[in-house]
Amino acid sequence: MAVAIRNQIRVLRFHHGEMTQQQLAEQVGVTRQTINAIEAGKYSPSLEVAFLIALVFAKPLEEVFQFDGQLPGA
Amino acid sequence: MYGNFDIMSKISVSLPEPGGRVSLSFEERSVWVQLISLLLVLGGYFIVAQQMVSRGVTELVVFAPVFAVAVVLMVVVTVAGHIVAALVSRPEGQDERDRLISWRAESQSGWLVATGVLAGITAMVFSVPTVWVAHLLLFSLFLSEILKLTLQLTYYRRGI
Repeated sequence: MAVAIRNQIRVLRFHHGEMTQQQLAEQVGVTRQTINAIEAGKYSPSLEVAFLIALVFAKPLEEVFQFDGQLPGA
Repeated sequence: MYGNFDIMSKISVSLPEPGGRVSLSFEERSVWVQLISLLLVLGGYFIVAQQMVSRGVTELVVFAPVFAVAVVLMVVVTVAGHIVAALVSRPEGQDERDRLISWRAESQSGWLVATGVLAGITAMVFSVPTVWVAHLLLFSLFLSEILKLTLQLTYYRRGI
C-alpha cells in the first residue's frame, strides 16, 4: 500500500544504541510487529503513537515522520 | 540529515530491509486459528448438512445435534489453536493496528450477513422450507466471517 508518510525510525533506532524494535514497541505500548509495519511504510500510526515515538527519540515529530503528500487540488 | 554518508551506508547494511517479512504476532496467529477452525469445522458441518438434505432430511430439529457438535468442536479446535499460538508467540494484547485492522475488515464484510438476512426474509415470503432459510442465514454468517478473517490477514501482510 502506497503511503505518503515516510519515517526515520530505523535510523533513529540505530543512533539510540541500536535500539531493537521490541524495546521501542515496549516504550510506546504497541507490538513489535506494529513498529515493523510502521518502519516498512505498511501502517501509518495514530498521532498519539507518532508523538510517543518522537518522545522516545527526543526529536520533534517532523524529524521522525515526513509527509510527501499534497493538498487536494494543489 | 545526519551529514555523514558513510554512517548511512553502514546503517543500510546493518539493519533489515524495509518491507521484509514480518513475523506473526499473537493476534495474527489468532486470526489464522479462527480461519482454519471455521473452515474445518463449520465447513465440515455444511458438507454433512448438504448430505443430510440430499438424503431427504428436511426437519430443522434433526440438524440441531449436528450443529451443536460442530460448535463444541469449533471451541475445542480454537482453544487448542490459541494455546499453540501462545506457546509460539507471547500474547501481547491488541494494539491500535490490530483494532484498526479488525474494524476495517468487519466493516467490509458485514454486507454478507445483511445480504443473507434479506435473502432469508425473501425466502420466507416465498414459503421456502425453514431448513433452507436457517442454513441460508448460517451460511451468510459463515461467509461473512471467512471474508472478515481473510481481509484481516491481507491487511496484516499488505499493510493498512
